[in-house]
Amino acid sequence: MSEPLLEVQDLKVTFPERGRQVRAVDGVSYCVYPGQTLAVVGESGSGKTVSCRAVMGLLPLAAVVTGSASFAGTQLIGLTDDQMRAHRGADVAMVFQDPTRSLNPTMRIGSQIAEAVRAHQRVSKTQARQRAVALLRLVRMPLPERRCSEYPHQLSGGMRQRVMIAIALACRPKLLIADEATTALDVTTQAQIMELLLELQTELGMALMLISHDLGLAASYADEVIVMYAGRIVEQAPAARLFSRVRMPYTQALLEAIPQLERPAHSPLPVIGGRPPDLSALPAGCSFAPRCRHAAEDCRATEPPLAEHEPGHRWACWHPVNGEHHD
Amino acid sequence: MTEPLLEVRNLVQEFHTNAGVVQAVSGVSFDVRPGETLGIVGETGSGKSTLARSVLQAPRPTSGEVIFRGTDLTTLRGTRLLQARRHLQMVFQDPFGSLDPKWTVRDLVEEPLIAYKTGRKNERRQRVDDLLELVGLDPASHGRRRPRELSGGQAQRVAIARAIALNPALIVCDEAVSSLDVLIQAQVLNLFERLRAELGLSYLFIAHDLALVKQVSDRVAVMYLGRLCEAGPGESVYREPLHPYTRALLDSVPSTDKHSTDKHSTATKRAPTTISGEPPSPVHPPSGCRFRTRCPRAQEVCAAEQPPMRELATGHTVACHFPLVEPAGPAAAGGPGSRAAAGGPGSRAAAGGPGSRAAARTTVRSDEKIEGTPR
Amino acid sequence: MAASLPDLLVTAETARTRPPRARATAGWARALRLWVPAGFLILLAAACFLWPQIYPVPKPVGGSVLNAGLPPLSPGHIFGTDPVGNDVFSRILYGGQVSFEVGFAVTAIGLLVGGLLGMTAGYWGGAADAVISRVLDVLIAFPALVLALAIAEGLGPSEIHVIWALCVFSIPATGRIARSATLALREQTFMLAARLSGTRGPRILLRHVLPNVVPQLMTFALLGFGVVIILEGALSYLGLGIPLPEASWGSMIAQGQQALTASPDLVLIPSAFLFATVMSLNLVGDALRERWGVR
Repeated sequence: MSEPLLEVQDLKVTFPERGRQVRAVDGVSYCVYPGQTLAVVGESGSGKTVSCRAVMGLLPLAAVVTGSASFAGTQLIGLTDDQMRAHRGADVAMVFQDPTRSLNPTMRIGSQIAEAVRAHQRVSKTQARQRAVALLRLVRMPLPERRCSEYPHQLSGGMRQRVMIAIALACRPKLLIADEATTALDVTTQAQIMELLLELQTELGMALMLISHDLGLAASYADEVIVMYAGRIVEQAPAARLFSRVRMPYTQALLEAIPQLERPAHSPLPVIGGRPPDLSALPAGCSFAPRCRHAAEDCRATEPPLAEHEPGHRWACWHPVNGEHHD
Repeated sequence: MTEPLLEVRNLVQEFHTNAGVVQAVSGVSFDVRPGETLGIVGETGSGKSTLARSVLQAPRPTSGEVIFRGTDLTTLRGTRLLQARRHLQMVFQDPFGSLDPKWTVRDLVEEPLIAYKTGRKNERRQRVDDLLELVGLDPASHGRRRPRELSGGQAQRVAIARAIALNPALIVCDEAVSSLDVLIQAQVLNLFERLRAELGLSYLFIAHDLALVKQVSDRVAVMYLGRLCEAGPGESVYREPLHPYTRALLDSVPSTDKHSTDKHSTATKRAPTTISGEPPSPVHPPSGCRFRTRCPRAQEVCAAEQPPMRELATGHTVACHFPLVEPAGPAAAGGPGSRAAAGGPGSRAAAGGPGSRAAARTTVRSDEKIEGTPR
Repeated sequence: MAASLPDLLVTAETARTRPPRARATAGWARALRLWVPAGFLILLAAACFLWPQIYPVPKPVGGSVLNAGLPPLSPGHIFGTDPVGNDVFSRILYGGQVSFEVGFAVTAIGLLVGGLLGMTAGYWGGAADAVISRVLDVLIAFPALVLALAIAEGLGPSEIHVIWALCVFSIPATGRIARSATLALREQTFMLAARLSGTRGPRILLRHVLPNVVPQLMTFALLGFGVVIILEGALSYLGLGIPLPEASWGSMIAQGQQALTASPDLVLIPSAFLFATVMSLNLVGDALRERWGVR
């Protein structure tokens, strides 16, 4: 296996809130390899978005970030905003969930893309405009010249997301992070955008990180999947393996709770009760233990470490299930 | 056949905006029978939420009939509408948006009881407590809270408790679980099923998530740009979709089942999608069949004539000039253009349906509505 | 309940701003920002209305010319006397009464009448909205000063007339706020849910619209209070408001203007009180807006 492009070690993020410390990310370590598609899945509050934003330096200054995130040898944690800006766009780029909020409604599309180009490259305005058209063509936008002079509100959701991708790709980043980038899109548009991302990945030799709550998306498009819960990684494996041989009870619970096309109608969904833990008051031991069917004394007492129990498959559980997931 | 609980006939809803007239719903007809759940699937711009609100007369549809328990709601005003609508309630997508942030949980659930003057104060209070317990909330600890002190799942339960307060016959769920996390969503779905069993409720369940709709519904209708494409028993629609749009939707759904993960081994990770382009504007929808601009099977007749809703299998109707005759990828989509092909499913013995093309047309029962009649 | 994480995240743009000041989240600092100015206002109002009842003060009018022009901190006259011989301190107190009375009356009438009209127009729309909005537009088009001049000329200057004149300004101003707040509210899902629950118009207005519109109205009213006090001061300064020799901070400033070089404190003292009062009202308004999350 080649050198990892991004290596995250023991990343921790805490937010002070009304006198308490909210441990949004509690010791996360993983690697992203060039050309790989890594999916990070979890529900809200799992820390998946916060951990990626920590790597990008996009957290409010009140957040306390410790640990290491090394991109091609350069440490990203602790860089100042100016230093980080050199990396953002050129090395790592991010596409967010809501293109409506990320695009300036008063600027034409072409100008916004050109602005992103000129942020990292010394090119003239004309050259930047040409790059903008080329980028729109890259993201398979029909009639790219015309789009350049349109405003965001004149485009549909899917097209706006393509513009966001074009902006993100302006400087050929080696890693693209898609943070719930297709969540707000229709399923048919989502399929188009995901197809586009995969094609671009091959064309540009880019690594792709998909952050989502949608396990189906991870299963269909990712090489490797990480499952997060309460700020920690609870399971990691190649996609095919994770979904056919799930080990961690939380992952299994997630899989069982998703409505499947193959299930008969009105069949009750197996659910677990309770809610994710309060991140400012995490329980001792495994954070999932209060809700876990298989929890035992040792689960509540000691936190299980994330370890590679089988080749390529890591999990953090004292009593993993032998989950053959089929319907 | 039992009287349908809800009959919607040729519902049309148009909005006048600066950009033009938005034809949000253009001639939709369906039934909901007592005790059944009808699911309506559609993407953004399909008009499904508008449809839901039009059924409830909020706002009143431009034209068409909404016959609930024998009374056409579109002809009623004021108090008479209130009385007729009493047994028709709605649960919305945003659990927090549908609850007044200044009210307590108890007040929120009590509101319909007060509005319809049911019982005396202490009777109402007791009923509120019973309702909260029924949806899985503890009246003592949750009753006095305000919505911002609740989680998404709890807030939605309050909305559900409010919706069932008056013992409705039919509940319209407009993306009611779409903004909830997976595990909470499952809990709330189970709650819907339990209430269905215990209270004999019917649901009109509207969502964009196909698997979700299929999970909760007896029958499913697929909506595109203001019209129904296909309708039928859930299993039938999913196993043997007849409309190209339904097929495209099914192909686009990323799934965790083994079949899709096996696709990893191939160079392209997904089967190529069978849909292209962008959804057209609802202000200027395409003539004839509205899906034709993105349909791989479209021919001239699709632009000229709006396809009527036809029954091609038992209880399974489709509005398409060239419906799919077997579940397939692009290769088996076969040659469009032949009406004989369209008559194919009619000859499937398994469907127990009509035996020939001619029969497929004439077996439309006299009491069945022809949906989407050309206008 | 644990904070929801997405609230704590920001986009690239806001991440570059200065770190949030520590006092923004400290609860006691927030409480101070509300209670210090509010406390000042309460004390000042109490002083203006209650002090003369409790402690004897010289009369604000009818002073003897023999006492004219005394500087501050003279025995018996802590703020000195004005050119006519009246005790400045007592005139400040009585003038303060006027300011608070006028401010309160105009604001209260604005809230009640304007608020009601605005909510009705916003909720029902249609013909009601058309009529009410036109009426409010006409009222707000009247320049307050010109109207006050007309009233003063026609009916003679007095406190009541000032109140009327200023209501012509406060009713439409509040009405517009109420209307736009109601319009924004009308689109909310819970309003539809309330209608589907069977609740009827008037009850919806009272139990759903009003509680949700009150924060905006109250913060507007507090800021408006300050504006009204200033307007009253201006009117009195021009001689259109409270007639001399009665005390009003505005007319005191006008009077003091004539002796500005000799006794600047005659202008400075009422000005300082005017400033402090309006400033406190603004601070309380801001603090409440922060607390109630009004944008």
